[in-house]
Amino acid sequence: MTGGNKIIVPFGSQHIALPEPVSFLFTTENEIIKDVEVDVGYVHRGIEKAAITKFEFTNVAYLLTRVCGFCSITHASGYHHGIEKLLNVEVPKRAEYIRMLVVELDRIHSHILANGHVAEVVGYENLFMQSVRYREKVMEILELVTGNRIQYDIYKIGGVRKDLTPEIVEEVKQKLNQLKNEMLKIYDFYDKDYTFGLKTKGISYVSYDMAKEYNAVGPIARASGVDTDTRKEFPYLPYDEIGFEVQTMSEGDVWARNMVRQKEVLHSIDLCLRIVDNLPEGDIATKVKGRPKGEVFVRVEAPRGECFYYIKGNGSKVLERVRIRVPTYSNIPLLKELFIGERYSDAQAIVLSFDPCMSCTAR
Amino acid sequence: MIKMFVESFKNLFNKPDTIKYPFEPSPEPKGRFRGTIHYNEELCIFCDKCENICPPGAIKFEIVDIENNKREYNYNPYLCIYCGACVDECPKADEGCLIQSDERISPLGRELPKDKKLGYLINRVSNPKEFEKAWDELEIRAKKSRDEYAKFKKQQRLSKQKNKSTLKNT
Repeated sequence: MTGGNKIIVPFGSQHIALPEPVSFLFTTENEIIKDVEVDVGYVHRGIEKAAITKFEFTNVAYLLTRVCGFCSITHASGYHHGIEKLLNVEVPKRAEYIRMLVVELDRIHSHILANGHVAEVVGYENLFMQSVRYREKVMEILELVTGNRIQYDIYKIGGVRKDLTPEIVEEVKQKLNQLKNEMLKIYDFYDKDYTFGLKTKGISYVSYDMAKEYNAVGPIARASGVDTDTRKEFPYLPYDEIGFEVQTMSEGDVWARNMVRQKEVLHSIDLCLRIVDNLPEGDIATKVKGRPKGEVFVRVEAPRGECFYYIKGNGSKVLERVRIRVPTYSNIPLLKELFIGERYSDAQAIVLSFDPCMSCTAR
Repeated sequence: MIKMFVESFKNLFNKPDTIKYPFEPSPEPKGRFRGTIHYNEELCIFCDKCENICPPGAIKFEIVDIENNKREYNYNPYLCIYCGACVDECPKADEGCLIQSDERISPLGRELPKDKKLGYLINRVSNPKEFEKAWDELEIRAKKSRDEYAKFKKQQRLSKQKNKSTLKNT
């Protein structure tokens, strides 16, 4: 690999610009990246194996939610929707709405931080600080609704574990309205700021065909104009009842990915407000009997894209197979392709515009 | 960029959103915070449901008296993941047998918290450094006591059957 004027630059597994451990080996020639190797298995913990040996199907969800801090609700929803299909459980409407509220709130806080990180690595520290300051409000709402800031554990087989009281609904509404104003302010900075645009516009362009060919998911695909969203394609929660729309852009660069996320944040806030306004009355959980038998797959929309769950049960307490395919993993081939020909100084912005979630990917 | 400068300049005179953490206590959790599990032995029916559901195995029942089936509840707050699954599962939770309080337990430091609600083991161990070891030993002991209890029950059943058959014969 060495020879000539090629230099190998390691980026990660632990790097000051990386929020999570992923390792890249860049072969560069005068700042231009010529080749790259990716290793995603730095934080492998063997969770899939543990899920089919040490845990029963009733408490394996508590293990799976701890796969990742950001997507904890994604993994909970993936697992529970699958196991409810296997057990033929009808979930009450109110429970579904509460689930939807927490899923959307989780998406908001994840997107705000992802965008903030991009701003940070392109050298726009005060935008990052401002984003994180506003993000705190979402965390407070989540703490109010579920009782915890990161590990929500609100899902349970057959419903949810905690109900929304009128006081909580009132407070959630008030805080969401405040947050909406603040996010509109932040939206302007991402949209119109000249210096932010210099480092992000036109960098790592992904065309519509390329996104389709490399099977990109989530905000990355949507930024290139691919109209894909699991919330529309695989209705695991009643999104059509509250008027969900897919947010797309056509530019396909780092800036567009940020803007898609920012648009989704604003749309998710709207969705949350509609959910708490139209909360149906009724029970929050049904009783569940039986043991899972057969196989099922579920697709859920994580903040980073489509998350795939495959569950197989054989009628006993312990499941036979739990397979997770997370959005970051399906975006890595595209990411690898994008680096070639770009400057090394843009590498950090490209990685973070993909919003990689490594603890999900390595499990 | 100018807009952001204005915003940053305003922030200079605003009240900070952060707290000076080591010098100020971190804010108390409010509302639905999922804290330490509190147990009330008088209400417990020893169904072992909490032990079976607990994902990390932070609740262990040890059978101390095999003949009378006397069980002791042990809880490890440093192993607990505070999910609250045990409270959901407990059939007597409404009466207050197992409660998830909103209290936080202090980190494993110089002292162990002493409370009857936290189970037996944590009250018996005085040195915090030995707690982990004591818990490991307890896990082995609890498993052993369970096996012994199963054996005892089987023997009891067999002897009962024998008695019955001898009674029939006579």
